[in-house]
Amino acid sequence: MTEQDRRAGAENRKKLAARRRWAKAAAVYVLLLGFSLLFVGPMAFAMLSSLKDNPVEWPPGLGSPQLSLANWVAAARLGLAGGGTAFFGQFAPGAIVPFSITYEVDEGSEPETPIVRVPRRVPGAGPAAIIAEPFAADDAVVSEVREARRTTTDGVVRVTYEFDITHMGSDMVYGKLPLDIEVPMYQRFVRATLEPNRIERLGRVQSWNNVTSGVIPYVFYNYHRVFRENYSRATGKNLFLAWIRNSFMLAGIKVVTTLVVASMAGYALARLKFAGRKALFNLVLLSMMIPGQVTFVSNYLVLRDGIFGLTKLLGGGSLINTWTGYVVSTMVGGSAVFIMKQFFEGLPTELEESARIDGASVLATYSRIMLPLAGPALGALAILTFQGTWNEFFWPLVILTSPPDKYTLTLGLLSFRTTYAVAFDWGPMLAGTVMSALPIVVMFVVFQRYFVEGISFSGIKG
Amino acid sequence: MRAHGVSRAWEKAAPYILLAPFIFHITAFFGYAFVRTFYFSFTEYNLFASPRWVGLTNYVDLFRNVQFGRALKNSLQFAIIVTLAQTFLALILAVVMNSKVRGIRFFRAAYYMPSVTSSVVITLIFMWLFQRGGVINYLTTKFMEYRAPIGVFFLCLAAIQVLLVWRDRAGGWPASWFEPAFLLISSVFSFVLVLALQAARIIGPNPNVEVVRTVWLNTRQTVPAWAGALAVPRPLAAIMILNTWTTAPTMMLLFLAGLQDIPRELYEAAAVDGAAPAAAFRHITLPGLRNATFLVLSMGLISTLQMFDQVAIVGEQAPRESVITLAYFIYSNAFPGSAVPRIGAASAAAIVLAVFTMVLVS
Repeated sequence: MTEQDRRAGAENRKKLAARRRWAKAAAVYVLLLGFSLLFVGPMAFAMLSSLKDNPVEWPPGLGSPQLSLANWVAAARLGLAGGGTAFFGQFAPGAIVPFSITYEVDEGSEPETPIVRVPRRVPGAGPAAIIAEPFAADDAVVSEVREARRTTTDGVVRVTYEFDITHMGSDMVYGKLPLDIEVPMYQRFVRATLEPNRIERLGRVQSWNNVTSGVIPYVFYNYHRVFRENYSRATGKNLFLAWIRNSFMLAGIKVVTTLVVASMAGYALARLKFAGRKALFNLVLLSMMIPGQVTFVSNYLVLRDGIFGLTKLLGGGSLINTWTGYVVSTMVGGSAVFIMKQFFEGLPTELEESARIDGASVLATYSRIMLPLAGPALGALAILTFQGTWNEFFWPLVILTSPPDKYTLTLGLLSFRTTYAVAFDWGPMLAGTVMSALPIVVMFVVFQRYFVEGISFSGIKG
Repeated sequence: MRAHGVSRAWEKAAPYILLAPFIFHITAFFGYAFVRTFYFSFTEYNLFASPRWVGLTNYVDLFRNVQFGRALKNSLQFAIIVTLAQTFLALILAVVMNSKVRGIRFFRAAYYMPSVTSSVVITLIFMWLFQRGGVINYLTTKFMEYRAPIGVFFLCLAAIQVLLVWRDRAGGWPASWFEPAFLLISSVFSFVLVLALQAARIIGPNPNVEVVRTVWLNTRQTVPAWAGALAVPRPLAAIMILNTWTTAPTMMLLFLAGLQDIPRELYEAAAVDGAAPAAAFRHITLPGLRNATFLVLSMGLISTLQMFDQVAIVGEQAPRESVITLAYFIYSNAFPGSAVPRIGAASAAAIVLAVFTMVLVS
């Protein structure tokens, strides 16, 4: 082999290595993108579909009228015409709402003037059906339907009709103005000022939930329904807001109790000598492995009987269905203590030793020296605890059973199954799931590092 | 002198002062509860009248109980299949994720998303995807429709890849069968070829494919049909898919930590010795991941054996006996709705579950 050959060979090898690196990076990105689709796809699709009028349409598509700019503009205009703002519309006295709709028929048949109605529609299913609210139909008057334009192309006649809806009353302001437009079977719907929410009776009826909604209630119709339709029958309180508040409050309280109790116990287990330390630590490990289904009967009884009768002494009763009961029974978890213990064990001992030599007591060393150093661990623990409580399902299911305004958000969503899923009404279901996932997703995006750090300690959810 | 004594006493008591709230909690709500469950498992008890000692009757009855048998079978199937599937998926994810490319943090965050959201949210979304008219059936229909073009694509890809690798090996280069550069070339070529064939109307989507209307949840069917007694109820299979999907990213993080602990020098030494990437994977990566694999498998088995949420959330939408697990059996016996609670049976089953868990750990 000559010197020249050898050099050419080395050159080739270098080229090959470069090509490999480049191709490998490309292959990695293709794989990464594919996996992203797998893991984020279902949730992103659920989010998009939560805007749809019918999330179980066939074939399922990515787009929906709620995502079209033209409809946003139309919704804003109609909202203003109804006397509200572009974002939040209404139907107020004196409002004149112009509307146009276009149909087509085959040449030879004569299009009929559509019948326009403002229906009296009861809102939604389930608990919402009992909400008494005034109907816009009481004050809305539909003008004569005029034929505005007519064109004929390729044997198809297109006709556009126009009409106004006027609020003839003097004082009632309505939240929504529903609309139904009916034509004979042979007359095909082409377009309207605002795309209809439903097409019913084999294409004969175009139906709108609320033509003067404004942009936000138009796009987020299902979200709007979630808030509007979930009322407590007993108190009239808005249930969905109550669930959100409950989840936030309980998660917040539990973060505080967990941080306090777990940092104290974790420090003691990591650094202090005392009788029964080993046994206690084994108990912690055991409690992390044994599922709640093994211990819940006794815990239920303990709460029912007021923690060995303690609450009776204080004049209380059963702690089932109370926040006190929930907080007392879940104020700290074995895994939280475990995380804090691991963290304190990883800190250098010199600081403590010098503090002890200076005569500081154990409690002072803990609170003045060690605790300030534990900032990052406490942060991670706070986030994990918040997430764990927000997502917790089993224990609230056992002890927060009634009335519905005691539920946490997870239990509330579960109750949607009987409110909506049985009727295949998946719009509000998906809207509810998106709203309940949102705080955690936002928190995750902001504090990603803590989640990833905490995971190796905290075990996993089922 | 006395003051000193007092402070000595304080110092002695300090650990217990720090531990007091935790010891109260773990004793009352775990230790005591565990012991009491053990006691209840030998009694007949309905939460109201006082417990009556019945000895081992509950355990004997348990193994005669058809529902318990189903729960046990479902739990074991679920634990084994899901643990294997998620470990495998997590390993692949971790290896891909361990590449040094830009933006890897973004992808890691994206994959981890299903793991941070609650089981209720994820399960409800899955129930929607698995509807009769849902996305899963839609995608299956589309796949059936485009079977021919997809098949042709992969055949072409394999053929071109083999040709390219052969040519390289004939030239004396040590090309691997999965050489990424060639894969890229072959997939682009095959894609263009399939498009051309479609344009020429030689192949195309099959218009006569029947729309797939598989009922995933409300069915008593089992899959796969040939597996006989080992077949999995279809609703349970759907939950398996869901659970693999949510937990694999968590397991990926554990594998990733394991991968990052393997010294880079080992790979460099292997490359110098001319080892193929596949050989390096088998002889360096896999042994290096032994600890991580053990952790992933044991954590996976423990958590899947205790599966409860998904069954409770799917609820009436699937036949009870198709999805019931040990944890759900316990819950439904303790709180059977309108019937009388059977705490004895629930506690005996709880002890069985606890024993299973502890056997797995040790």
